[in-house]
Amino acid sequence: MGLLDFFSRGPKSLRGRTTAADDELFDDEFQRKLDYLAMVSKRVFSGAMRAERRTRKTGSGVEFADHRDYAAGDDIRAIDWSAYSRFQRLLIRLYEEEEDLSIYFILDSSSSMGFGDGEKQRHAKRICAALAYVALANLDRVTIVSATDELSGRMPETRGKARIFRIFRFLSGLKSEGHTDLEDSLKTFVAQHKRKGLAVLISDLYDAKGFEKGINVLRYNKFEPFVLHVTDPNDRSPELRGDVRVYDCESGEEREVTVTQKILERYAKAYDGYVEQVKRFCTKKQVAYYEASVDVPFDELILRVFRRGGFLR
Amino acid sequence: MLHFVGVPLQTLLAVGGAAAALVVTLYILKLKRRPVPVPFSRLWERILRDKEATSLFSQLKRLLSLLLQLALLALLLLALGDPRTAQNLVEGRNVVVLVDASASMQATDVSPTRLDEGKRQLTDVVRGLGGSDRMIIAQMDAAVTPLSTLTNEVSELEGALAAIKPSETRADFPRALRFATDTLRGLPNPEIIVVSDGALGQAVDPLGAVDLADTKLSFISVGEGSKNAAITGFSVRRYPLDKSRYEVMLEVTNTGKEDLDLDLVLCGDGSLTDTTRLRLKAGERLPRFYPNLSGASRTLEAKLAGVVSGSDPAPDPCKPGALVGGDDLPADDVAYALLPERRRSRIQVVTTGNMYLEAALLLDEYLDVTMVSPKRYPADGKFDVTIFDGVAPPPAPGSGHIFYLNPSGKDVPFTVDKEILDDNPNAPLGFDELDEKHPILRYTELSGAHVWRAHLLKPEKEDKVVGASVRGPMLIAGRRAGYKFVALGIDLRDTDLPVMISWPLLLLNVINDFVEEDTGYISSFATGTVWRIPAPSQLETATLVDPSGVERTVPVQDGRAVYLGQRSGIYTVRAGTDADKYETMFAANLVDPQESRIEPQKELAVGETKAGEVSGFTVGVRREIWAYLLFAVIAISVIEWLTYHRRVTV
Repeated sequence: MGLLDFFSRGPKSLRGRTTAADDELFDDEFQRKLDYLAMVSKRVFSGAMRAERRTRKTGSGVEFADHRDYAAGDDIRAIDWSAYSRFQRLLIRLYEEEEDLSIYFILDSSSSMGFGDGEKQRHAKRICAALAYVALANLDRVTIVSATDELSGRMPETRGKARIFRIFRFLSGLKSEGHTDLEDSLKTFVAQHKRKGLAVLISDLYDAKGFEKGINVLRYNKFEPFVLHVTDPNDRSPELRGDVRVYDCESGEEREVTVTQKILERYAKAYDGYVEQVKRFCTKKQVAYYEASVDVPFDELILRVFRRGGFLR
Repeated sequence: MLHFVGVPLQTLLAVGGAAAALVVTLYILKLKRRPVPVPFSRLWERILRDKEATSLFSQLKRLLSLLLQLALLALLLLALGDPRTAQNLVEGRNVVVLVDASASMQATDVSPTRLDEGKRQLTDVVRGLGGSDRMIIAQMDAAVTPLSTLTNEVSELEGALAAIKPSETRADFPRALRFATDTLRGLPNPEIIVVSDGALGQAVDPLGAVDLADTKLSFISVGEGSKNAAITGFSVRRYPLDKSRYEVMLEVTNTGKEDLDLDLVLCGDGSLTDTTRLRLKAGERLPRFYPNLSGASRTLEAKLAGVVSGSDPAPDPCKPGALVGGDDLPADDVAYALLPERRRSRIQVVTTGNMYLEAALLLDEYLDVTMVSPKRYPADGKFDVTIFDGVAPPPAPGSGHIFYLNPSGKDVPFTVDKEILDDNPNAPLGFDELDEKHPILRYTELSGAHVWRAHLLKPEKEDKVVGASVRGPMLIAGRRAGYKFVALGIDLRDTDLPVMISWPLLLLNVINDFVEEDTGYISSFATGTVWRIPAPSQLETATLVDPSGVERTVPVQDGRAVYLGQRSGIYTVRAGTDADKYETMFAANLVDPQESRIEPQKELAVGETKAGEVSGFTVGVRREIWAYLLFAVIAISVIEWLTYHRRVTV
């Protein structure tokens, strides 16, 4: 059942529970695109790539995976007596345990995301909602947290497509405020979430302490980081001229600068260098990375993610 | 050494010091910059770290900016002081420029014409005008026409120069000088600049010699050559007794210093009448006489043209615009004349029979004569002239003008006095006094006529005595309400006048005078003079159409349309409405040997004052330094603006 089926149910439909802000951010057109993306994801991952995700963790699955030596305390029902008869060793049969994937969306909701007309924040929310819907449609467990220098909001783990409107409401309620400290906030995140999984970090990565520290926190705690770097061309080419005092919208740090064309060119170069630095880091650390420019429609980005693979396996 | 004639130097220094202190203070004060939020200031820090390496250069640039501002301030203060060099402390000049626009200035010995060359030279003078100088430009021809105000606005003066148009007249130099001296009276540093070829004559008019007093006189001489031939005389007259034929007198003069081969062409009504090839020696005056011509009924045109390769003149030399060239001044190579229109005059003769009278009237085929006996007067119809022979009834309507022969009775507009007889052998009766300039006596010789008996005539006060014996008037002329009259107090049978040629001439002269048909020399109006063209006396204005077809309204005074003509050619005067329409044509010519002598004069003198060269008008140099200072301020401001916006000085 697609989203539009919900809408056709009348006033008591799920759509009726959305707010005015939802309507603006997640309008009909957006929801129609989500349906389409969900459908495309099914087609891409059909067959070997079913929605379910298998883990190496042995368990109560039906598909044989491996043997290992018996250890005290093991369930004796798992002993492979045929192997014992041939090798005179007590071996335990291991089966692949099927489990649904936990996908964590870590949405940067610091002031820098709402800078200017807030397009980065809107774009991030749309991407988050779209990926969450795809994940829900694949029966994965979805958790969304908003991060600044702490975890400022959290939508508990949920599953099933019907919960997408809850996600909408959660995302709509997020405000861009506070300053970015990915290291601190993600430390809190890993402490609160013991179940490992895919951690999708949606952020502009404007972290004064360094974006690397935040990503490394995820890596070191066995989460699988997936970086969506939200960028805005206006950040690269600000419309500044003359003698100005620039101040950081998060930290309030000030610098006096006389903006000339040459300065603007150098700034653009520095910006490009920063983005390149993020890319290099992610490549080096084998972290999936996508640049999500606000100029590129979110659905195009999602399809690009699907094509490259890695988001759903 | 500079002198400050604006704000005093002490004040300037005080104001300048205060302003400079203010500028420096403002510069030292930290610039309050506009706060602008950015999403991530660390990125700015990266580039600002590099920029700090060049901070010394930045400081220098800031210092340069301060110096520029101080320089601007200094220039502005200097401009307020209006600095002048010592030699420029004199008051501005007041200049009257008299531009000769006479006919000789149309000479083409300098390209394109002398007038254009003069205007070109004058343009440099205008552009070199000092800021406190003032100038007025006037066109000098038969009149003086100021074309600008006394101003130092270069654009207005250049507009005045452009408005100067050549005329075909002589320049009235004394009048122009009077205008100039009147304009400059009481003004400091007066100067008159004359732009001319120098053919201006003496500066003397009926008021005497023009006195320039202390006015400086400068002269811009234009012209190089003197090659010119001119038609200096052109007259036509009809034969009095055969008005269909006419004779032409022409005079051609070579005013230059070289011999000229020329074609003299005479055109009648636009058709070739005569062509003569002439060789005129330098300075030669050649009169030509063309007797017994016929064919043209209205216009006559004489042209001089250069001989082209020894060939015949152009196929149609009478075509307008044909045959030009041959000398440096085409304006005097053409002359025009207009024959009066012939029309039949209706004459009523009230007589009991007079062979002498009837025979004389037969001499002019353009007269329609109606004989009527005194008892049957008036005859039917309207007449131009009525001749009362020995009778004097009250004039009936439609009788026109009246010629009384031997009048009697009291119904005459004058008094017929006593009869006198030729009874004194020492003083034979005849015309002892004659007004020979009166048109009715033209070509006559009445003093030889013998009279045996006559009646003396007593004219009214406004009447004119044309002929009289020592005993009293015998021939009078006058005008009454609406008609003219001439009275001869002699019976033709009591004199030998009828056997003299003077009798028919007198009769025809009287008729011609009445109908205003002149058999005399048909001379044209001379350009540069005030023309008084006959027009209906009851009108106040008439329309004058010039040779180029331009119509203008001219005033009519005492039956004459008055106009100062400055172009040669055929003119038309129109007046009245459709029912009462009046139209006449006349010719105007530049027939002026002085104007045709185009050899340029390199010097000019007015009385004791000798004209010098024009000086003190240097293009591009103004006397006021403040203008340059202000210009520098603007230039520096523009440079500052450009460098600021291109971030060179910040």
